[in-house]
Amino acid sequence: MSATAFVAAASARNGGLRRFASQEALLAVAVIGLAIVVGFINPRFLAARNLSDLLLGNAYIAIAAVGMSMVIISGNIDISVGALIGVLATLSGSMAVAGIPTVLCWLTPLIFGLSVMAAQGAVVAYLRIPAIVVTLGMMSILKGGLISVTGGRWITDLPQDFHLADRNIYGVPMPVAIMVVATALAALWMRYSAAGRAIYATGGNAEAARLCGVNPQRTVVMVFALHGLFAGIAALVYATQLRVIQSTTPPGLELTVITASVVGGVSILGGVGTVVGSTLAAILIAEITSALVFINVSPYWTDAVRGALILATVIADIVRRQRRAARGWKR
Amino acid sequence: MSLAAMKPARPLPRWLARHETLLAAILIVALIALGSFNEVFLTPDNLLNQGRFMTETGLIALPMTFVIITGGIDLSVGAIVGLCAIMLGYSWKTFGFPLPLAIIFALGVGALAGFMNGLVITRLKVPPLIMTIATLALYRGLAEGVSQAHSVRGYPDWFYFLGQGSVFGVPTQLLILIVLIIAAGVALDRTTFGRTLYAIGANETAARFSALSVDRTKLIIYTLSGLASGLAAFVLVSRVTTTRMDMGMGYELDVIAAVVLGGTSIFGGSGTIWGTVIGLVMIQLLKNGLALTGVKGDATIVVIGGALILSVLIASSLQRRRE
Amino acid sequence: MSDRMASASVPLLQLRDIEKTFPGVRALSEVSFDVRAGEVHALLGENGAGKSTLIKIVSGVYQPDSGVILIDGREAHFATPEDAKRAGVATIYQELLLFPELTVAENIFLGHAPRGRLGRIDWTAMRANAEELLASLDIDDLASDMIVGSLPVGNRQRVEILRALSHDARILIMDEPTAALTESDVMRLFDIVRRLKARGVAVVYISHRLDEIFAIADRVTVLRDGAYVGAREVAETSAAELVQMMVGRRIENLFPKTAVPIGGPVLEARDLVRRPMTKKVSFAVRRGEIVGLAGLVGSGRSELAQTIFGVTPAESGEIRLLGETVKIDSPESARAKGIAYVPEDRGVQGLVRAMSVLHNFSLAALNGLSRWGFIDRSAERRMAEEGVERFSVRTSSVDEIAGRLSGGNQQKIVLGKWLANNPRLLILDEPTRGIDVGAKAEIHRLMGELAAGGVAILMISSELPEVLGMSDRVLVMREGRLVAEFDRARATSEAVGAAMMGSEPHVEKAA
Repeated sequence: MSATAFVAAASARNGGLRRFASQEALLAVAVIGLAIVVGFINPRFLAARNLSDLLLGNAYIAIAAVGMSMVIISGNIDISVGALIGVLATLSGSMAVAGIPTVLCWLTPLIFGLSVMAAQGAVVAYLRIPAIVVTLGMMSILKGGLISVTGGRWITDLPQDFHLADRNIYGVPMPVAIMVVATALAALWMRYSAAGRAIYATGGNAEAARLCGVNPQRTVVMVFALHGLFAGIAALVYATQLRVIQSTTPPGLELTVITASVVGGVSILGGVGTVVGSTLAAILIAEITSALVFINVSPYWTDAVRGALILATVIADIVRRQRRAARGWKR
Repeated sequence: MSLAAMKPARPLPRWLARHETLLAAILIVALIALGSFNEVFLTPDNLLNQGRFMTETGLIALPMTFVIITGGIDLSVGAIVGLCAIMLGYSWKTFGFPLPLAIIFALGVGALAGFMNGLVITRLKVPPLIMTIATLALYRGLAEGVSQAHSVRGYPDWFYFLGQGSVFGVPTQLLILIVLIIAAGVALDRTTFGRTLYAIGANETAARFSALSVDRTKLIIYTLSGLASGLAAFVLVSRVTTTRMDMGMGYELDVIAAVVLGGTSIFGGSGTIWGTVIGLVMIQLLKNGLALTGVKGDATIVVIGGALILSVLIASSLQRRRE
Repeated sequence: MSDRMASASVPLLQLRDIEKTFPGVRALSEVSFDVRAGEVHALLGENGAGKSTLIKIVSGVYQPDSGVILIDGREAHFATPEDAKRAGVATIYQELLLFPELTVAENIFLGHAPRGRLGRIDWTAMRANAEELLASLDIDDLASDMIVGSLPVGNRQRVEILRALSHDARILIMDEPTAALTESDVMRLFDIVRRLKARGVAVVYISHRLDEIFAIADRVTVLRDGAYVGAREVAETSAAELVQMMVGRRIENLFPKTAVPIGGPVLEARDLVRRPMTKKVSFAVRRGEIVGLAGLVGSGRSELAQTIFGVTPAESGEIRLLGETVKIDSPESARAKGIAYVPEDRGVQGLVRAMSVLHNFSLAALNGLSRWGFIDRSAERRMAEEGVERFSVRTSSVDEIAGRLSGGNQQKIVLGKWLANNPRLLILDEPTRGIDVGAKAEIHRLMGELAAGGVAILMISSELPEVLGMSDRVLVMREGRLVAEFDRARATSEAVGAAMMGSEPHVEKAA
């Protein structure tokens, strides 16, 4: 087993429980705590219907955040995911309406998402173009491409069996099941596998990683590819919940996904964070959005809250890292 | 990279081989080509109109050039445009400011937003990319929250002079842009400030050790970026007669594309205002050309996105070949 | 049997005539080195002497341009770090390569954990093995379950050593291992090294701390400017000899020192403190005087200079310039007060290599060259051309890219850029390092001229002949403190060298 393989496995075992438990525990406490507080102010918030809608409707964000977290942990960023999800959802819906077998409608977004993102990853890794520029350009290409091809047309009359998200599996609604499984698989993979650990190594201490046998370029391409896969799954969950698919990019989606990752403990400088954290954070953010409505704050303030959250988290993280560096960890 | 082993300079005169000259040549060719395809294109009316449309992006592209030369980036400009547009309308309609004061207030908000960016970047050493993604979210959110999605209309007639009027046949905002282009170009090329920008981008450590005021300069450029966004907001509102909260969305793409297309390296240390202007004109041309051939507005961002990636690719492979 | 006896006399690791050149720099020229099993062989040299390049070659990170590496007498080629590891070479770098989220046991067995069924990792066996290793070195304050990120640096280093051992390293390279350690950690480190020796491990110990070398090493090899200077048995040499080998260059024609009238103090520093490297330093530099600041690598000289220059402002203490107390909180305020600093690392700190000679020359003097912010280009060009003339900078034109010039010419530009400001205090940090003889002499001549013109000069240098030849007074720093001062007459290489290493007669108070 290679050095990196190892690092992966190890961290999972106890490193996770000990050190990261703090961030994830904090988030779990926040989720529950907020629910209690808001429930106190407006008991209708705690209605089963509301909570389940919240979870079901936002599970796709958590799924996308799994991939985004991987990208950020590897030391990169992606702002094209929102546009990509819009494209994939439209693609899937259009295929369904065109009569293509349902399973293909489900699989195609996964493959397409993976390919598009992998291509971006390759450009970033091998051509050394900063990820922000590549993904900014790609975002525009996807966004504009979507509108010009579809004209913003609404896709209606989706066949009944398209709606994967409406199904239950062992009594658990699909979106939630997929979210939990995706998070769990990703978390385990990132801890126990060489490739997964390579992501942390590349983002955290690239030189050390190289000396341990990690190939940073291949790792970056892989990370983007996985991110594309998860974006595809997210698009699937998103699209199959809707009766009508608007062929547009859900506005601000990439920012929400990035916020979920960052608030979930992923350091924007790379090398640190977990997908469990980002899933919990995604739930928290969805909760905050809903809570604002129930305590009578205008929904137009949610984006400001989200923005303040990400700003505060990022600044706190960077200041904390600098203090740690000054105390002499790295050198 | 073997500096010592570089080939001696080729016999071509230096100005001819410069990136900007190349671009200008392409620009002229493109102008002629588009002009021959479409007879409306090369009319002064159309060209001036294009100049009008390109001003908002152009205003922001000037300080963005400064920012990218220092190796930084500012992704929050579009959000600041939205925020300032809202503040303009809101302070006038809701706070009851007299309109001129509202305008100044809006500009002030823009400058403050940029200043906040600069402050955190220089004092807390948060990387510009990260800070401005976060403020992108925050400022846009504030714009939405403050406006509650209400638009503001009904400005007095004189207000529209900036966005829709002309002076001696030249659109007002274009004149302002031209003046600022010259000012920015001169500042970059001939002042201590400009030299400091290049030094920061090429080697920030050496710049500090040479007693250049690195932090103060950075603070200035981010503040200018915010201020320019505010000014762009003013021009925009004046041109389209309403204030909406989604104004400025996507501006960062156009602006960064213009700067990068114009030859400024995304890694910092090089670039000129003239290059940015050419980049700006090319992008506007592209949009105009596409529109005239019947392509709808939304599709143009596909082309801009592609142009951005392509120009960075070309620039970086040329860079690599030079090494 | 006889095989083993034969191999006992064959060094475990041998390097012969190793050459390595990077663009523009000849890092190693004909360097030979060998180390036997059970021996501690120290590698000594200044910054830039080539030690780290040599280590990287032995660990497989770089490949030599020419020369051979022999393991057990057989030629070896390390194309990758893995090859070196497999041959039994383990390196412990200054920047520890540990993963903070993992435990001690996990870090030790990084990459080669004991496997159980189905190839899965056998965690229990791993923990047991780790405990064994800890016991073998008598380390009782580490448990295999501790998270490395929470450990202090001394313990972390021990984890790295154990990791090397877990690979059955036969050759252990330690790069400046005591740089961040406390006294007691250092003692424990030595204890471990001795145990390793007893086990037959060959230890390559890189350090510039002579007292440690005398405490732990059997042999020592000195490198200087990428070349092999010599090797000695530690028992048969002295600190003075080693210092001489490390820093003494052939005494070239240093410009003869002319007597210059020395005036009143220009700089007076009192009790300057700046963590972590400047600990209550007080000294003065007078008009026309050249004060040499000697000391070993890591003694805090550059840090002191940068505190005076405002890059890392003093936390407490006082600085007076020409009698007036000033507060220097940035390089700009330092420059405004007439202080100039020519940095040690000219590529990173001194020059903007991508810019032209012209622009580099004016970089520190832009305020003086501009009115209302507008740079007077013709004045700028004139200044650069005069500078090129005055300092004999060899360049085809002032528009040439500075990065293309040779080291000596680059240094002259950095110097010239600061002199354009007519400073009152000039701080030079290793002004002639890595420069050819001719350029060196020119710089020395220049220093003499400046001193004659009334400039106060503080010269940091690791070349004793330069320090002794140029200075009116010599100050010696060690570990952040000023430990000795000599006037020109009493400054001899023995006295200064002794003070640098800490074996001088006068007793200094403990921290």
